[in-house]
Amino acid sequence: MVVETRNLTKKNRVRELDLVVREGEIYGFLGPNGAGKTTTLKMLLGLVKPSAGTIRIFGESLGKRRSAILRQIGALIESPSYYGHLTGLENLRVVQRLRGVPDRNVEEALRIVRLEKHRDKKAEAYSLGMKQRLGIAMALVAFPRLLILDEPTNGLDPAGMEEIRELIRTLPGRYGMTVLLSSHLLGEIEQIATSVGIINEGRMVFQGSLDSLRARSRGEIRIATGDNDAAQSLLLEHGYRPVAAGGRLVFGPLADREVAAINRLLVSRDIPVIRIEERRRSLEDMFLDLTGRERSLQCGS
Amino acid sequence: MKRSLSAEWLKLRHSRIGLVLAALPAVSVLIGCANFALNRDVLTNGWYSLWTQVSLFYGEFFLPILIAIVCAYLCRLEHLNGNWNLVLSAPVPVAGIFLAKWITAALLILIAQALFMALYGAAGLLLGLPGPFPAETAGWALRGWCAGLTVGALQLGLSLRIRSFAVPVGFALAAVLAGLGLYVAKLGLFFPHSLLTIGMRVLSQEPPDPRQETLFWTMNAVYALLFAAWSVSGLKVRDAGTA
Repeated sequence: MVVETRNLTKKNRVRELDLVVREGEIYGFLGPNGAGKTTTLKMLLGLVKPSAGTIRIFGESLGKRRSAILRQIGALIESPSYYGHLTGLENLRVVQRLRGVPDRNVEEALRIVRLEKHRDKKAEAYSLGMKQRLGIAMALVAFPRLLILDEPTNGLDPAGMEEIRELIRTLPGRYGMTVLLSSHLLGEIEQIATSVGIINEGRMVFQGSLDSLRARSRGEIRIATGDNDAAQSLLLEHGYRPVAAGGRLVFGPLADREVAAINRLLVSRDIPVIRIEERRRSLEDMFLDLTGRERSLQCGS
Repeated sequence: MKRSLSAEWLKLRHSRIGLVLAALPAVSVLIGCANFALNRDVLTNGWYSLWTQVSLFYGEFFLPILIAIVCAYLCRLEHLNGNWNLVLSAPVPVAGIFLAKWITAALLILIAQALFMALYGAAGLLLGLPGPFPAETAGWALRGWCAGLTVGALQLGLSLRIRSFAVPVGFALAAVLAGLGLYVAKLGLFFPHSLLTIGMRVLSQEPPDPRQETLFWTMNAVYALLFAAWSVSGLKVRDAGTA
């Protein structure tokens, strides 16, 4: 296990969070703005002290082995950190010196984020996208085992977003990194992540693979009949719980044999069955149900 | 620690802090020299009289402000663009991060002290003062530097807690005035900013008695340790206001 938290809590922000990130995966940490993502990531880096709970990274306690653990982590938290009066190259050299890694790492990090041509330009003159790429290069410069990226595509245009996503996708395969990525964009997590954790109001409301989340999107059965009122009364008498909506009788998830039984029952009472359809909930609906529809989770990219 | 120090020096590239280090000693010496030249009939003790004038402006006023500016600048680098996240998530002990900044501040203050002494020497020669350059003034500048380390630890503690650049510098200005008052009330040995005055022999060039000398070094050491510990604790509880 690369990251494992137990009952991780920060007063008023994060509640009893059990986060599990496995080696080599891209873990998408998804939640609306203000859900507690950044606070959680800051706790993993020792930047915020937990009120309760434990953090184990690479199998060791963060409290006891802070420096040894941090040596293997690269991070971009909140917004890209940079020294505006220094050039891109000098910014990377600051991190290189702080981490005591070889010169060649700086060149390689610049190459990966495609900033070689702008290496001698002052960071304050960089565009937002370039600053974001510089921030990622600074996180990459030690080629860490665990890369923590907090909303890395924030403020980028669609092309810039895709470029960063493509870069992140390649990191586990090319450099053996595990990536923990936070986002409020469902589309982004869907495109990049192999595992997902959904946080809402400081609580983990789902954790697992994207496939297992999709499997939870159970369909609902909708039946249109020639006389919906009569059909509803009949079905209620037989213990079903249909809800009339939009000219249909809507059921929760039903087994195939139950659908067949309902059909038989309606036909036996001469109620014409016009249409039986299954409507699966989209991933967006799942997220909105988990995080509360009134919150600001954005399902687009 | 070595890695943090090396990173601190790199951060000073292209910065304008060198202008402050050059300007404040130069202005102090210029004002002091003008005062000396205008009052030569009463300032008759040659090099020592010149020292009273230049060190009055520098040690009493410009040096503590310079220390405050240097410390505020070193912390401002981190306050901007969320750079504390970068520094505090690096695999170096928190105490090492503070020490690197403190040593950097100490070296910058030492450069300012050296420049001040060079300008004092040059001014003395230009004014045609009789006799050789008084070597003991270099010792006084070094004592002032040591007291400057204590004040620097305090200013760093303030600057890393307060995002504003101006507030810690304003604090230094107020402390200078308070320090002057306490010095006059013979309580200067117990106030960090007065230790600068005493260290640089600004207001009295008489050698202090051994008891006072011991107290000077003891108070410096005690305050320096206290302020350093306070600064490190400030770095450790930085999360108090994070989002």
